[in-house]
Amino acid sequence: MSQADSQTAVSSPGSSAGALDVLKHNFMQIWQVLAALALIYGFFFLMSEPFRSFDTLLSIFGQASILAILACGTTIVLISGGLDLSVGSIFAVVGVTVGIFMAEWGLPPVLAVGLGLGMGAALGALNGTIQVLTKVPAFIVTLGGLTAYKGLAEILASGRDLSRFPESFKFLGTGNTVPMLIMFAVALLTGLFLTKTRLGSRAFAIGGNEEVARLSGVPVAKSRIYYYMLGGLLAGLAAIVEVAKLNFAMPARGQSYELYAIAAVVIGGTSLFGGRGGVGKTLLGMFIMQTIIVGLSYMGVGTSYQRIAIGAIIIVAVYWDVWRRSTR
Amino acid sequence: MTPQGDSVQRPLVLEAQGISKHYGGIVALDDVDLTLHEGEVLAVVGDNGAGKSTLIKALTGAIPKTAGVVKFDGVETQIDTPTDAKAAGIETVYQDLALVNEISITKNVFLGREILRDDWLGRWFGVLDFKKMDGEIRDLFSKLDVRIADIYREAQAFSGGQRQAVALSKTVMFGKRVAILDEPTAALGVRESKMAMDLVRSLKDHGLSVIMITHNMQHVLNYCDRVMVLRLGKLVAVCDVKDVDGDALVGLITGATDAGATA
Ligand SMILES: Nc1ncnc2c1ncn2[C@@H]1O[C@H](COP(=O)(O)OP(=O)(O)O)[C@@H](O)[C@H]1O
Ligand SMILES: [Mg+2]
Repeated sequence: MSQADSQTAVSSPGSSAGALDVLKHNFMQIWQVLAALALIYGFFFLMSEPFRSFDTLLSIFGQASILAILACGTTIVLISGGLDLSVGSIFAVVGVTVGIFMAEWGLPPVLAVGLGLGMGAALGALNGTIQVLTKVPAFIVTLGGLTAYKGLAEILASGRDLSRFPESFKFLGTGNTVPMLIMFAVALLTGLFLTKTRLGSRAFAIGGNEEVARLSGVPVAKSRIYYYMLGGLLAGLAAIVEVAKLNFAMPARGQSYELYAIAAVVIGGTSLFGGRGGVGKTLLGMFIMQTIIVGLSYMGVGTSYQRIAIGAIIIVAVYWDVWRRSTR
Repeated sequence: MTPQGDSVQRPLVLEAQGISKHYGGIVALDDVDLTLHEGEVLAVVGDNGAGKSTLIKALTGAIPKTAGVVKFDGVETQIDTPTDAKAAGIETVYQDLALVNEISITKNVFLGREILRDDWLGRWFGVLDFKKMDGEIRDLFSKLDVRIADIYREAQAFSGGQRQAVALSKTVMFGKRVAILDEPTAALGVRESKMAMDLVRSLKDHGLSVIMITHNMQHVLNYCDRVMVLRLGKLVAVCDVKDVDGDALVGLITGATDAGATA
């Protein structure tokens, strides 16, 4: 980055050069990711006949949308320099509880959904609180959460048939469209949260340099708890959409979702080390990952090989992140 | 105590007594007193590891102090967190901890004191008022002649001098009474140092009392009114700048000219 162009005089107040600059700046940040997406998409487009249809494109989005909702929360947490490995298990707990609320207690869907979201938020906040109070690394605390919440989901679900939900609830999972619309709405709100609000914008400062943030008077611990809470809330929402789509709930759902979400976030270009990133990048990363999964399966490559491919891409993405940090 | 010269006539803004800081068995700061008068620039000098940063961190609530009291305007004041210090009107530029690299200049300047929109969006959702913050920053930068073309750019993208200028401007904007600067010219070139010191002078012109840690004896002699010398966590001398020269200060810092404790 050149110093010269930042040493020219202060631009006058209200000058309108800003908007275009911001756009240019944003493009410069993501062009590599866009290029990677184009390459990958182009590759499968050439290699596989059925991949070329518009329905495929739609199903790529549709299948990714539930994970993408969860990944929006992961984006917030990672930007703030945190890490939550337990969101896949929060997903399982919320799915099961919402199922119990409706199938066993006969609660109206609106109430069940509301309580489910509250449950997700509470479990996320619990992770955050334990982490800021004990100062045990987030990796360890949320690894504990991953197993503990999974156990909780299994206990709650055992011996229960959680299926056949009311029509008004199942609407949330209709086809590819409704989950996709929910995903875009969530991504939009998350983006506004991160860029336009005080709490959201502080996530970048805390993730960038926690000590500077603290010395500047930012309530770091409290803010962190909110980020984990939002991560839990969005994991809960993703679970609700999935339960509605499948029309059943079981504790095995959500397994490894936290890893796929982290993968998508990092592939999109959000830093695993905090301070930089955005929700648009996460959507791109999710799109890349899902394109690879769908493309490979259209080419007849099995799921085990797909996992290996995704694993390799995660390593490349993290390496790229490390490399960018070292060259700044 | 050592003679204090004419600045003693002015009222005290800040007075710290018996400040100590222990890290386990390590005594980083041992029973140090400090006085700061209205409108003066107080230099704090000492070798690396003398306890200068520890002193100002303890003073501003950045770290808990082991012992000591702080009086502000003659009244004993609890300063236990950076927020307490800011509330009292003390603005600090910590060594190596001035700006977050990853966020824009605008966000850095207002970090922790963001301005919210004056409507329901601001009140209910904490939506920021970028227009107002940008406007205030531009006014400030043009008033102080700080040249930053793109205030939306990451702080990382700017030179050491520009970054320091931003940090110092922040103290002009928010400091009501006292500005504390930890090595504001460290790692700066000659021209950038000059720019930073001009800003320090303008802090004084804006009615602030200044505490400045520095290794540059020329800056002490040219810009400061009094100087205090720390060595190995202890206060070894406080004097008026017009009563000393560079050699005498270096002697005090290293312990060569001091009759008392030597390492
Ligand atoms: N967090 C810490 N833990 C242990 N010792 C520390 C810590 N911070 C500073 N010290 C010690 O305190 C002493 C004073 O440090 P400091 O105030 O940073 O010196 P300086 O005058 O160079 O600013 C040094 O010996 C340093 O090693
Ligand atoms: Mg220091």
